[in-house]
Amino acid sequence: MIVYFTLSLLIAAAAFAARSERHLFFAGIAFYAVQAGFAALLIAGGLYETTSAGIFTFDAAGTLFYLLLTLVSAFAYFHSEAYLKGNDLRRTRTYSGLMLLLTASIAGVYFSNNLAVTWILLEATSLCTAGIVYHRRTEPTLEAAWKYLFVCSTGIAVAYLGILLLCAATGSGSLSHEALAATIATANPLYLKIAFLLILCGYSCKAEIFPLYTVGVDANFAAPSPGSALISTGLVNAGFLAIFRIYKLLAASPVFPWVRHVLLLTGVLSLVIGALFLRRTNNYKRFLSYSTVENMGIAAIGLGIGGIGVWAALFHVVFHTLIKSSLFLQMAVVRQVYNGYRINRIGDYIRINRVGAIGLLAGMVVLVAFPPSPLFLSELLILQEAAIDGAWWLVAAMVLLVCIVIYSFCSRMIRLCYQPNQDELHPSKVDRALSWSALTLLALAMTAGLWQPDLLIDLLRQIATL
Amino acid sequence: MIPALILVYVVTLVYLAITERYRNFVSIMSLQGWLLFAVALLRLHAIHPAELAFIALETLVFKALLVPFILYRIIKRTKINRVRTSGSSQFGSFVLSITALVVSVSLTYYMADRTIDLVFFGVALYALLSGLTLIVLRSQLFSHLVGFLIIENGVFLFSMAIGVEMPGVINIAILLDLLMSVLMMGILFRRIDDRIHADDADALTHVKD
Repeated sequence: MIVYFTLSLLIAAAAFAARSERHLFFAGIAFYAVQAGFAALLIAGGLYETTSAGIFTFDAAGTLFYLLLTLVSAFAYFHSEAYLKGNDLRRTRTYSGLMLLLTASIAGVYFSNNLAVTWILLEATSLCTAGIVYHRRTEPTLEAAWKYLFVCSTGIAVAYLGILLLCAATGSGSLSHEALAATIATANPLYLKIAFLLILCGYSCKAEIFPLYTVGVDANFAAPSPGSALISTGLVNAGFLAIFRIYKLLAASPVFPWVRHVLLLTGVLSLVIGALFLRRTNNYKRFLSYSTVENMGIAAIGLGIGGIGVWAALFHVVFHTLIKSSLFLQMAVVRQVYNGYRINRIGDYIRINRVGAIGLLAGMVVLVAFPPSPLFLSELLILQEAAIDGAWWLVAAMVLLVCIVIYSFCSRMIRLCYQPNQDELHPSKVDRALSWSALTLLALAMTAGLWQPDLLIDLLRQIATL
Repeated sequence: MIPALILVYVVTLVYLAITERYRNFVSIMSLQGWLLFAVALLRLHAIHPAELAFIALETLVFKALLVPFILYRIIKRTKINRVRTSGSSQFGSFVLSITALVVSVSLTYYMADRTIDLVFFGVALYALLSGLTLIVLRSQLFSHLVGFLIIENGVFLFSMAIGVEMPGVINIAILLDLLMSVLMMGILFRRIDDRIHADDADALTHVKD
């Protein structure tokens, strides 16, 4: 892992010092070659289930999310290259360098087996993300960057207090998962509950769930669309995995039923907020961001229900990563066409860019979980588990809220494709290659969802085992 | 000696709630750094000398000198002087701060357990509530920055109390992360002052639905 970080940091430094867009392209090639090599070592090189430097473990959860991250980040990086072509080089290279650093930091979060290291790397992701959000140097981006950095730093400080309390409660003297797991069953339940609440509150700014979801929405709105694709998936997964690892630790403690109730409540509140704000917002990027809040809420509900719900939650997050990144990348092309994202003004996209419009419509169908979407399976399993538990209020609430989401999504996306356009078109030419490229991520999600390769199923089974 | 230092630390938190001059904020943050330095030396004298030296350096250089210096530079550069409009009066802030103190003490005694040092936990909780109160009640971005640093100091105090063993590299990484956060917030604060001509969170309304 040390070699991985060293190489990644060196390449990111090269990107910061790049003298042309071509240099940035080669920096990207080198960086993703390192990622691909590392992924190959994980899958076939004997690195899997080993430990590095005593603070990183290459387990199933880290491996699966790392593979997803590499894929999404590579798409986001090279789309950014095309998206920002011709912009001020100083800004573009800063943005590109930060994208690479963000990817490396997220990878570190995925593999960390120490709560302090997870915390440090999550704080590092805040710094990188704030820089990405501030790329355009406008007033809204400045405001979003400030809010993101401030709320995330405060939230993560609160989470650290929770981590320390967890450590004190277990009396382990170390913040490694193994040390904490060894004594957690006998820890003071009240301390564990307070620690979990503090950690959940703090990390909610990364996982984009209630209560600190707002900064994530603002960051996605202000960042360039390919950057949002990475923030809204890879970074959100980092927050989710950080919470999930605490959830797994607490599975052996007497407070686990309480923890599940808290996650259930958090999930339902996130789903309510996501569903309602999908109706309210007038900006397509904020619209997709609220969809992330809604989907992460569904994942939290899955964890809260337990049983097969845990597997379904993980399955949901994995496929949400591919689908949402595809939609954000499609939105980058939409901005090239209209120079904006105003829902009530722009339209007629099917005539202007047929491939992009099909990508958005297909993405809509898959994201709202129409069969045969993989998300249909996860949502169905979560509803089934809730029904088996006799939580009919939850089933009713979920069905109602998902109906609102489906209506909002369909009306907004159909409006973008078919309503008469009321805005002036941007003079730049539509880059259909980007639309095709984004569409491949969606196709990959559908293929993997229907085929369900053994590697995926095996990794998910291992991760979901509490 | 440690209880006396902790008591002074609590007094600084109460004072932060009622003061309105930004320079006083900076002075108090510096004083808190010195207090943490003294507490660290007295409490952690038995740990490995290298680790103790690092913590001493962290509190002295970072918390007592560098961060106050950055804050002072921000005040000088942006020419801000004092809290113009606060969400509540000084008396209201004082009452809230005392309420937070009472809540912290009550919670700490309710949670009493051998595994946690009650004094340190209570003060850390009070620092957390004080920081959050400052962030919520004051609309100035500078006050928010100070609120964040108060929370950080509280967390640091608590980490000393529980004595988590962490390799030096992790301690350095935590320190660098925090330093970068403060630096970046300072830079963004100055940009907000330059571009939006505001030091007030109420003016940050460009990003909304």
